[in-house]
Amino acid sequence: MRSKVAQRILSETPEETKIFARLYADIVVRINQLLKENKLSQKDLAESMDKRPSEINKWLTGEHNLTLRTLAKLQAELGEPIINVPQRKPMHTGEGIKGSMTVYRNTVNTDVTYTKVWKRSKVKSKTTLANVS
Amino acid sequence: MYFCLLTNNIVNIFALEIWDDEGAKCTFYTVKQLDSDVSETDIFFERYDAKPEYRDANRDLLSFVVYAIGEDHGAVDELFNRDENEVTGLPVQGKRTVENITYHFPDFPLRLYALKITQNIVVLFNGGIKDGPTNQTSSLHLEWRAACEYAKRIDKAIRDGFIIIDEANRILKNYDGSDVIIL
Repeated sequence: MRSKVAQRILSETPEETKIFARLYADIVVRINQLLKENKLSQKDLAESMDKRPSEINKWLTGEHNLTLRTLAKLQAELGEPIINVPQRKPMHTGEGIKGSMTVYRNTVNTDVTYTKVWKRSKVKSKTTLANVS
Repeated sequence: MYFCLLTNNIVNIFALEIWDDEGAKCTFYTVKQLDSDVSETDIFFERYDAKPEYRDANRDLLSFVVYAIGEDHGAVDELFNRDENEVTGLPVQGKRTVENITYHFPDFPLRLYALKITQNIVVLFNGGIKDGPTNQTSSLHLEWRAACEYAKRIDKAIRDGFIIIDEANRILKNYDGSDVIIL
């Protein structure tokens, strides 16, 4: 159930507004995850990027919108992707190219704990196959 | 489903009812005066949707609440401002402690007050135009005070066990399982 007022306003809201809200929240959450993971404060980030704290503060407190350049600098410093652009990859078959698929290299999900080392998940013990004679 | 919180103060009698439970991550509640047909949150969104100069900001905020918090992330700290007494103002503004850096919607003119119960349950109140450096000096002062008052009552009802937080089902329940609580 959703409020009828909310339903009405959302039905009149441009799609780009909804996309902006979701994308920006994804970026905010992602950068915060990376800062926490790297145990970095705003001051630390400024020092490691050789910037004035006031300049970093402008990026991080919304005095201007994040630019692609800013995101690139943050990504370079934090060492992991902040945003991801999906790519189209052609699908080949024996008879030649048959369409394409979209490849996503990473996604933002607050349920996921990011670890630097990929760990293989535990494999359940295999059930012994019945002997077939 | 709704709860009735009967009290003796300014916000005497109000219902606590579900505003949106369709999101994958968070259920939103709202408050409604029992002599009103419209919830406080709906009053807020309708008021600013009717004002052309605030319509875009209003829709930004509604999308942020319903999709970014409700559907995608839940009520994570990164998407909430620091508490302003009993409540927090949405959207997140970036004036946070150093380790919780955020930067969403700079210079955003509106504030919607909220009480975060858990990461998956949030109560939304009313709000207004943030036209001063603090809530006390903004024209939304009364809405902020009312939101704090609602939040105090809800918080007390939870602490006293009149409202049970059902985290598994992402809902609030009466202590006896019924839909209505009278305090």
